[in-house]
Amino acid sequence: MTREEILNELKSVFAPYTTNKEMLANINDQTDLITDLKINSANLVDIIIDAEAKYNIEIDYDSADKMINVGSCIDVISEKLNQK
Amino acid sequence: MPGIGNDIVAMSAIDVERTNQYRFFSKIIVAQEQQLYNDRLASALAFEHFVWLAWSMKESAYKCLQRYQHNLVFSPSNVLIGEVQLPANNAKPPMEGIGFDDLLVCKSQLNFRGQHLFSRSIITAQYIVSVVNDTNDFSHTCWRVKKIGSNDTEDQSLAVRDMLLHKLHELYPADEFKIEKSIFGFPVLLKNGAEADFPVTFAHHDHYAGYAFIPDI
Repeated sequence: MTREEILNELKSVFAPYTTNKEMLANINDQTDLITDLKINSANLVDIIIDAEAKYNIEIDYDSADKMINVGSCIDVISEKLNQK
Repeated sequence: MPGIGNDIVAMSAIDVERTNQYRFFSKIIVAQEQQLYNDRLASALAFEHFVWLAWSMKESAYKCLQRYQHNLVFSPSNVLIGEVQLPANNAKPPMEGIGFDDLLVCKSQLNFRGQHLFSRSIITAQYIVSVVNDTNDFSHTCWRVKKIGSNDTEDQSLAVRDMLLHKLHELYPADEFKIEKSIFGFPVLLKNGAEADFPVTFAHHDHYAGYAFIPDI
């Protein structure tokens, strides 16, 4: 999968946890999950679990810690997909 | 300047079934914390409450440390809960105060890569709130948690700032306060135009919002 394809799919992963729909429609690598998308930190684990289910991957502690913006989410998902 | 951090979890916004799934809770608590729960806490505390208690303490610890370690990444698995002492009294705890009633709060110790931190948490059916510091002296800690009408993030953020400014006006009627956000994301309190020499910390989740700080009076 390309980074652009993952970025577009991530919009549906983030959607249940953000009310900032305008920002969601225009996310890019630099978009911060908490400060830009206004996702509550308590939902970060939900996003990791949802991404694991969507891509049938396992995201370990160290990788999960990196998932703070859209670009780092794509990096982690790409890495895990490549390891399959 | 002392370190302080807080966090609130609104239990009505929590997916209990998901919280109890291994793949979920294992992102928040590590094996030794699961063992701590099984050995010492299971008879008195629902597992989902323990998981979110752990989250609130770990997030508070991160906020406490991140003010001075700006590039710190929140890593729940690296903040280890070493001890949990549940409240001795089941009476309804207050929603604000200066200091904590030891009989009504959960007391804990945390460790982040060798650094010791200390927590006071209030656990209710509606919310869990934690305050963490690096001294274990909570006697002067001014804190509050409040139910607010809106669960919109912006509304919560405004509500908690208003709440804090109101309290500061009570404590320091002669001074002007303003709250700004540092480039690293934590709140900075300005007292008469200069950075105050005590930190403030905010949290909000769903319909609950709260603050904590240690006033310099």
